[in-house]
Amino acid sequence: MPVDLDNSSTASGEASVSSSGNQSQPPKPTAKKKRNLPGMPDPDAEVISLSPKTLMATNRFVCEICNKGFQRDQNLQLHRRGHNLPWKLRQRSSKEVKKRVYVCPEPSCVHHDPSRALGDLTGIKKHFCRKHGEKKWKCDKCSKKYAVQSDWKAHSKICGTREYKCDCGTLFSRRDSFITHRAFCDALAEESARAQTQPSANPTSEPNSNAQAVDSSATAPPLPPATAPAPAPAPAPPAAPRPSTGQISSVLPTKSPVLPENPQPIVEEAPASATGLNGSCSSTTSSSSNGNTNCSVFASLFASSTASASLQTPQTPAFTDLIRAMARPDPPTELARPTATEPISLCLSTNHGSSLFGTSGQDRRQYAAPPQPAMSATALLQKAAQMGAAATNASLLRGFGIVSSSSSSGQQDGLHWSQRQVEPENSSVPSGLGLAHCDGGSGLKELMMGTPSVFGPKQTTLDFLGLGMAAGGSPSSGLSALITSIGGGLDVAAAAAAASYGGGGEFSGKDIGRNS
Amino acid sequence: MNSQEILLCLRSLDGGCLEKLLLHCASALESNDVTLAQQVMWVLNNVASSVGDPNQRLTSWFLRALISRASRVCPTAMNIDGSSTIQRRLMSVTELAGYVDLIPWHRFGFCASNSAILKAIQGFPRVHILDFSITHCMQWPTLIDALSKRPEGPPTLRITVPSSRPPVPPLLNVSTEEVGLRLGNFAKSRDVPFEFHVFDKSPSSTAPDEILCKGTPSFHFDSLLGHLNPSMLNLRDDEALVINCQHWLHYLYDEKKGSPQGASLRDIFINRIKALNPRIIVVVDEDSDLSASSLTSRITTCFNYLWIPFDALETFLPKDSSQRIEYESDIGHKIENIISYEGFQRIERLESCIKLSQRWKNAGCTSIPFSEETVKEVRTLLDEHAGGWGMKREGDMLVLTWKGHNSVFATTWVPNGLED
Repeated sequence: MPVDLDNSSTASGEASVSSSGNQSQPPKPTAKKKRNLPGMPDPDAEVISLSPKTLMATNRFVCEICNKGFQRDQNLQLHRRGHNLPWKLRQRSSKEVKKRVYVCPEPSCVHHDPSRALGDLTGIKKHFCRKHGEKKWKCDKCSKKYAVQSDWKAHSKICGTREYKCDCGTLFSRRDSFITHRAFCDALAEESARAQTQPSANPTSEPNSNAQAVDSSATAPPLPPATAPAPAPAPAPPAAPRPSTGQISSVLPTKSPVLPENPQPIVEEAPASATGLNGSCSSTTSSSSNGNTNCSVFASLFASSTASASLQTPQTPAFTDLIRAMARPDPPTELARPTATEPISLCLSTNHGSSLFGTSGQDRRQYAAPPQPAMSATALLQKAAQMGAAATNASLLRGFGIVSSSSSSGQQDGLHWSQRQVEPENSSVPSGLGLAHCDGGSGLKELMMGTPSVFGPKQTTLDFLGLGMAAGGSPSSGLSALITSIGGGLDVAAAAAAASYGGGGEFSGKDIGRNS
Repeated sequence: MNSQEILLCLRSLDGGCLEKLLLHCASALESNDVTLAQQVMWVLNNVASSVGDPNQRLTSWFLRALISRASRVCPTAMNIDGSSTIQRRLMSVTELAGYVDLIPWHRFGFCASNSAILKAIQGFPRVHILDFSITHCMQWPTLIDALSKRPEGPPTLRITVPSSRPPVPPLLNVSTEEVGLRLGNFAKSRDVPFEFHVFDKSPSSTAPDEILCKGTPSFHFDSLLGHLNPSMLNLRDDEALVINCQHWLHYLYDEKKGSPQGASLRDIFINRIKALNPRIIVVVDEDSDLSASSLTSRITTCFNYLWIPFDALETFLPKDSSQRIEYESDIGHKIENIISYEGFQRIERLESCIKLSQRWKNAGCTSIPFSEETVKEVRTLLDEHAGGWGMKREGDMLVLTWKGHNSVFATTWVPNGLED
């Protein structure tokens, strides 16, 4: 009978919904249990988000006799029986209990997303304590700290109790790790090579699986007499790594200074103005053919050696850098492993980011309220557009180590770019955004039409479009709303021509744009 | 709102939001919407970090894969050979031994399989294991160790591996033969008679760890299939044949080629295996369904599956741990293949355990449940890892779970009529 689940000593017991429970249950009914698809949890499940206080609370239910605390009332009631006190256990109601899943209230946490919800209350509590709580429990023998007492107990039980030591000096706490290592370790190879010449090798006892504290090295039982034909001894030196044959593909530069140097050649290559390519790019009419401009659109995005001209935005060099950096073959000497300071170009902002913001967001030992209310992704995209318009854009990118376009029209490009979105042909904005002629496959269509399979039963607490739209809103409103929301934000910079966007009746583009 | 505030906001985006951004990015790329793509990439770029928290790390690999995909659409002078952009890393055998134990992703399969194999070969004096896996025989030392302690004495053990393997991490800096040599050494030290063979060393098969061949259909598996018969494998009548497929089957092309049988490579392989009349077939693989071909569904599925190892690694390794970064980079390799390649080059063709099980049933095999002893062993294993790992039974399958979410499944099969 489950008494005090949270003080149980098996650390893995709580995690899975059905793991430890299965064994004591009667055989499963013949009806197949419906398997949840990943990313699409049970659509009928109720998503519950408890407050940090609730999640951290321990032992709210206290026994009046012995003052022992329990996290759940059920457990307290069962305990009270032991004192011969009257107890009450709420019977499970006969109607089907609605399946509940729990999310983490911490917005940046992976379990904040309903599709990563945890199936049981104990699990989410333990998660919250472990991840966002203070680590109060410290192991005596080693330095490990734990936020959840049962984890600490589980660890203490095994810490230092079993140690297997290989001849090479490595220590293992688990036998299977030790065995696997030992099988391939050079120490064994050397020893067997020695054993070929010395039949009377010293036998040392091998720890058997019941061994407690064993710190002697484990070797084989005494070798058979040397009369047995010996296979060739294992090669004495460990095989040297194959020189550079493995390092075939390109790799990112591992030093940040490399990156900012890149844009210069790229920008310089660019002819002052490339009209043709600009013309074919997004914001103009749908008449731009898909055929052979496809390639050139991407050429503009990813700067081929010739047509990097259409650097419409200050941001393009950044992406050019990304692609170039990624695609550039690694200089032969650059075999360094990634280090903590390596800014793979995708994380250009992070290192600088942390210096800008200090470490406030980093350490989650103590739970702290998030500094900002969560922002919808749409608003972020609008901000991205605004950034292009704002004068701060160039300096921002510089601050991140992306040398923004050093061409003279830095800021002007920004304005130019955002204005481009509101060109006179606004009636063609839908097509300008490339949405009308989506031959790019069904993926985009599904997205735009709000097909449930993509947006549907995800129970997102954060609605991407900020539209409060349930799954499968009417296709036309979905499409136009998206256009409006994206188009509306871009409207901010150029106040004129705010008039007719997309036609989304429910939401005014201006409102969304001003939402900050 | 100034830029600092925006960036602070970005750091607090939740998984659902990130996923949608990735989807929008993909759509924008597919429809050549440069502007939208740039916007989304700007946002994602400011979130992604390979040394951040799990969501940021995961996003960084996805973003990278998307960019990789886009640049493949229009090859530039830079990436003209279309190969992966992620650095390939070769490990030593002992590094690999540590690698497979970082999280139970592989060891779960090893443990369940070895336990089931032990039971299936009880009483047999000769055992032959046909090993299809990507972990270079890391599974076998513990089996050899267990065999050495068999009450009736160890059997004569033969392990046969194909010469080619999918060009995916983890990669070794030594040859398969060298691995076999060391394994043999170890078996000898445990007094287990041992043989190691590499088959399918036809002239056309090249070194195991070559780069992904562009446009070569189902590379080398054709040759491998051709070797799957008793004479080529040198099967002996008095041996208990064990087939071991660990994280392997999902690399076999699952779409029906224009082959005479009209069956996919995967089905052909399964049928050939069954025809060898093994005592037991062990199948372990990742439980995620990537068979739907659309990019958006692949992104969604993948994002909602591969968060698991990132989350697990976060619980016990610091953000700048090189072990962790390397492990994640290998997953990034997988993500890149899933997102950025199509056709034959997309080799990560994961399939749900239900579908895979159905293939075995269609081929005329019956599943065998795992014994209580095996279950107990697996639980003991998981107890020694981080608290979020669990296990559950689904029918005859064992499924490794992380915080309740399915990750890896293990099953065992016999040809119909041979179950006892």
